[in-house]
Amino acid sequence: MGLIKKLPVYTEKMPGGGIVMTSLEAALHNAQAKSLWYLLFGTACCAIELMCTGASRYDFDRLGMIFRATPRQADLIIAAGTITKKMAPRLRLLYDQMAEPRYVIAMGGCTIKGGPFYYDSYSVEKGIDHIIPVDVYIPGCPPRPESLLEGCITLQEKIKKQSLLDWQEKD
Amino acid sequence: MSDLRTEEYYLNMGPHHPSTHGVCRMVLKMDGEKVKEIEPHIGYLHRSIEKICENRTYAQCIPILDRFEYVTAMSCNYVFALAAERLASIEVPERAEHIRVIMLELNRIASHLLFYGVTAMDIGALTPFLYGLRERESILDLFEMTCGQRLTYNYIRVGGVSRDLPNGFIPKCHEALNTIEKKLADYEGLLNENPIWLVRTVGIGVLPAKVALDYGVSGPCLRASGVQYDLRRNDPYSIYDRFEFDIPVRHNGDCYDRYLLRLDEIRQSIHIVRQALDALPEGDFKAKVSPNFKPPAGEVYARIENSRGELGVHVISDGTKKPLRVKTRGASYNHIAVLPAFATDVLLADLVAIFATMDVIMPEVDR
Amino acid sequence: MDKDQLSAYLTDKSEGKLTLLEVGRHDPIFKVEASQLIEVCTWLRDDEQLKFDFLCNLSGVDTGEQFEVVYQLASTSKSLRVDIKVILPYDGAEIESVQKVWAAANWHEREMWELYGINVKNHGKLEFLLLPEDWDEGFPMRKDWDAPDFIRMPEF
Ligand code: SF4
Repeated sequence: MGLIKKLPVYTEKMPGGGIVMTSLEAALHNAQAKSLWYLLFGTACCAIELMCTGASRYDFDRLGMIFRATPRQADLIIAAGTITKKMAPRLRLLYDQMAEPRYVIAMGGCTIKGGPFYYDSYSVEKGIDHIIPVDVYIPGCPPRPESLLEGCITLQEKIKKQSLLDWQEKD
Repeated sequence: MSDLRTEEYYLNMGPHHPSTHGVCRMVLKMDGEKVKEIEPHIGYLHRSIEKICENRTYAQCIPILDRFEYVTAMSCNYVFALAAERLASIEVPERAEHIRVIMLELNRIASHLLFYGVTAMDIGALTPFLYGLRERESILDLFEMTCGQRLTYNYIRVGGVSRDLPNGFIPKCHEALNTIEKKLADYEGLLNENPIWLVRTVGIGVLPAKVALDYGVSGPCLRASGVQYDLRRNDPYSIYDRFEFDIPVRHNGDCYDRYLLRLDEIRQSIHIVRQALDALPEGDFKAKVSPNFKPPAGEVYARIENSRGELGVHVISDGTKKPLRVKTRGASYNHIAVLPAFATDVLLADLVAIFATMDVIMPEVDR
Repeated sequence: MDKDQLSAYLTDKSEGKLTLLEVGRHDPIFKVEASQLIEVCTWLRDDEQLKFDFLCNLSGVDTGEQFEVVYQLASTSKSLRVDIKVILPYDGAEIESVQKVWAAANWHEREMWELYGINVKNHGKLEFLLLPEDWDEGFPMRKDWDAPDFIRMPEF
């Protein structure tokens, strides 16, 4: 019943059970936030931490996050790792192949502003936010699994606060 | 049926593909399910590490090289420190050498455990992934208590290590080793005689020793093909000559041997760490080296055996505080380059198994 | 064979094709003329005493005045290590491919070609390896290379 406490609901008791009424928006967004499937997109060091987060100790699944290998089944890209100039068009393509609503988490310094490769590098894209829109930034090099979990919870909060109108095509 | 016409076609695998361990693209010429030709395209993770190092002092290069091979970042730290020490003829204290060996071997175990999990996942078994990464965490805990980081350590510095072992490290390390040693039996029980695993790996992707040497394949992949070549023995560095350990060798050169060999290596590494822990002397953990030290002009190629093979770095000093040239050599570079030479005429699914057991990791290739 | 014996052996047996350089700090480094490269490499690989069958690494170097190409060789059966170095002028730098001797050289040479602009003769497939396919900003590893979005780290 934990979920019901958090939602705007109207309950009516009846013999043998009850009726729960809530807004479509709240129900949908809660469902959506609790089943974020992420695209397994790791390019560099941060991907190893992403893997650790998905493995036994940190256990991503309890947030309802399961990895998908194809963008068409994913709601979320966790961009883990350096994006180079050669990779940038591919990242954009993957993002375009995902169905709306879609979200992006930028994990690690590299995806935020180039990280350790900001200076003196001729091939690293300095931040991914001019390639795809980013919802949550997680700094660190690499961020700890805990920070990644925190970032995902932040994204869930964000999803829950959305209104249905946000679902319209955004550019 | 004889006039059934087949047609060759091209298949693009990657650069974003769940089994490429990073971003590698392979253009495959296929005949039905059979791979006829492979053409790897790399560079999707080319981060210009070499160019960056040319504008950093020797101490600043080490954290950049952490990102060069992050699964065994300790060995990257070490190989650069070794090169700088050889350039400037720096003596390293005994205690530091022991700590380094402990860290290098622990890192090798962690890397092989990751290999175990990820390879099994690529071939289609998810459970080993959870097992392998569970024990890996216990090693990462040890690293974390020593240097504060889980992946990119910046711990081994020129002249020693950045700080001494923390209190309670030694018992915790013994405990972790004992657990891993016990769990190894579980790992083997899961896969070694698993019929699906055997069908997927035995006799698949045989790498002949001659081809391997010609293409510069090193490390476990070379030893699985029957060549006993391990730099810890053949070109000794640090204090490896004081420890007793075996170099496991296998002779079939197929995916199964490459997998078994790594499990054998975990046992040997555990053995080395135990010896090093017992022999750990008191004393300094770092020689006095100024952060802006200027080695005399000269050049050196330092190479060590990390979990994938020969990890080398070629450093040229012109007498200033920054190196003139740093060229890194990762084993995976050759491991991908050799694929077109032996992994043809296999099924597409077997190519994934071959790729996984070569234990390629992309930043080492692209740099 | 230890390092000194190896140096003596190489100087002795190579009939003047290999000259020992002073710069090597751990392993001996020999200089060889670009025109004699293939001949020397084949000999190093096939000589019974040496058997340098393993090309560890191949680096291109830009010293600011000239190019150098360094071949790091190892012998797996005899546990030996040696470097050989070819010095090339800045203009029209060109070198013969050693792929026929060690197949491992293939990608290293391609990389050297794209990053330094050292031409490799008889390579067979000189295409971009690490850089994007549409790269047109020159040879980024050269010391004098620059581009609009290339930011140097400030001196402290
Ligand atoms: S942020 Fe750091 S750890 Fe993450 S990919 Fe970049 S360099 Fe690697």
